[in-house]
Amino acid sequence: MNKLERLLSEISSYTEDHPYLRYITEVIDTIRSIVFEPGVSAEESPFLRDYIEIKRYMFAVVVAVAPAALASIYFYGWRALAMIVVSYVAGGIAEVGFTLIRKEEITEGFLVTGILFPLILPPNTPLWMVAVGIIIGVILGKEVFGGTGYNIFNPALVGRVFLTITFPVAMSSEWLIPLTGGWAGFNQFSVDTVTSATPLGVFANAGTLAPLRELFLGNIPGCLGESSALLVLAGGIFLMLARIIDWRVPVSYLGSVFLFSALGMYLWPNQVAPPLFQLLAGGLMFGAMYMATDPVSSPTTKEAKWVYGVFLGVMTVSIRAFSGYPEGVMFSILLMNMFAPLFDEMVMTLRYGPIEKPYK
Amino acid sequence: MSNMKDIYTAGVWEDNPVFRQMLGLCITLAITNKVVNGVTMGVAVFFVLTASAFIVSLLGESVPRRVRIPVYMLVIATFVTLVYMFLKAFFMPLSQALGAYVGLIITNCIILGRLESFSSDNSPWDSIVDAAGVATGFALALIAMSVVRELLGFGTLFGVQVLGSGWTQWVSMILAPGGFLVLGLLIWVQRSISPVEEG
Repeated sequence: MNKLERLLSEISSYTEDHPYLRYITEVIDTIRSIVFEPGVSAEESPFLRDYIEIKRYMFAVVVAVAPAALASIYFYGWRALAMIVVSYVAGGIAEVGFTLIRKEEITEGFLVTGILFPLILPPNTPLWMVAVGIIIGVILGKEVFGGTGYNIFNPALVGRVFLTITFPVAMSSEWLIPLTGGWAGFNQFSVDTVTSATPLGVFANAGTLAPLRELFLGNIPGCLGESSALLVLAGGIFLMLARIIDWRVPVSYLGSVFLFSALGMYLWPNQVAPPLFQLLAGGLMFGAMYMATDPVSSPTTKEAKWVYGVFLGVMTVSIRAFSGYPEGVMFSILLMNMFAPLFDEMVMTLRYGPIEKPYK
Repeated sequence: MSNMKDIYTAGVWEDNPVFRQMLGLCITLAITNKVVNGVTMGVAVFFVLTASAFIVSLLGESVPRRVRIPVYMLVIATFVTLVYMFLKAFFMPLSQALGAYVGLIITNCIILGRLESFSSDNSPWDSIVDAAGVATGFALALIAMSVVRELLGFGTLFGVQVLGSGWTQWVSMILAPGGFLVLGLLIWVQRSISPVEEG
């Protein structure tokens, strides 16, 4: 035990019995369990061979999105970092405040939501909107259901969908042209060159396709984290190799987008974009790697993951082609989140027979 | 007269039609994007509910059980038609803003519910107090919802700009999703203040 850990545990045991300070015990314990191991250990079997728990999972996801987050600073300037900071601060206050009032344990789940949320926003989003979105996402998307592990929907996407329907202009028409060359965005705070559409928007309106190479490397307008499909893919593959996320969801999602857009392009050539363009444009790669694989809101059984991914693909292609929105990843993931428990239950029923429900 | 007071406050708070009984939600969700609409609807329902509660309690046992619902509907429809014509004659813009929802007060389950469960077998004065309490509760719920929605959605209250001209409109608050969100949040607040006793 080093000094800091001893200090924290002393503070924690002191505040526990203090009449007023006991409310902050949870905060101290959370800091301790993020920096060190939690203060409790198992007293009877099963014992752990490797100490892996939510904290390490969450940390791995943060590491995996780090390249995309750095790239967002490169493309859009330091303002991108400001958005991430605002998201962490505002969401953190909402999370800690809520759990303190409810006298529940603060969980590490927010570490991931806090960085994923700003990365799925347009780079020009006002900072106060970032704060509103993350607070709505944390409270209405997660805490009202009982906190980390109990949410039906992905909290970051709940915040994003709220912003989308609440501030449609800011969320869908003010895109920035990314910077490239040299240190690009690392030299400046923000980008001023406003454009009106993302590659998907351009396709929906004019029918022209952005070059695939640009889509893959990232020199295209879009949300902060989705610019470069390459970096998102790299992060996703890292997570799959580390067994943090299950490869079945991204593979079936991307695969079904590929298949159904190929089929759709044959049937409705004017509305459905070609498969490779669909894969690389917009938030699909980001959604498939970091959002659809959310361990809480996606199905648990293997077969259900395949079904889930296929449905996600069908919905994404359909929304992109036939709805008023040029992009459909967010809506399809949220809609399928709703069906995730149902898919699981169907798989369990097929495998083990009817399930006895704990409720009536 | 504490009994009267109890009947009244029960309707306003403990048995609030919107937050506790979850009645009249169609109107609540549809028209609460402006405070003016909320107030008008609250007053209209107050008038219709108290007046028909009075009439129904006078009718009392003289209505055969089997035809009581049609009779109640007739009584309610009479008063709703009065309100409808009154609004059209003197407040045309409001009447247009509320659209079909004034006419739909006839089928509002709050009114039918009160007539059926209270006015039909209570004295006229008790019925009026009960109706007034429930109608006040309904009006307060409508006003609470519409204050939040108009403030965030338009940045205004009663059409007057209060949040500054630079206010970014929260479009979803004016539309249906905002109605559901604000309703849910207010139910949460109301039930946190006085928790539901699980029976």
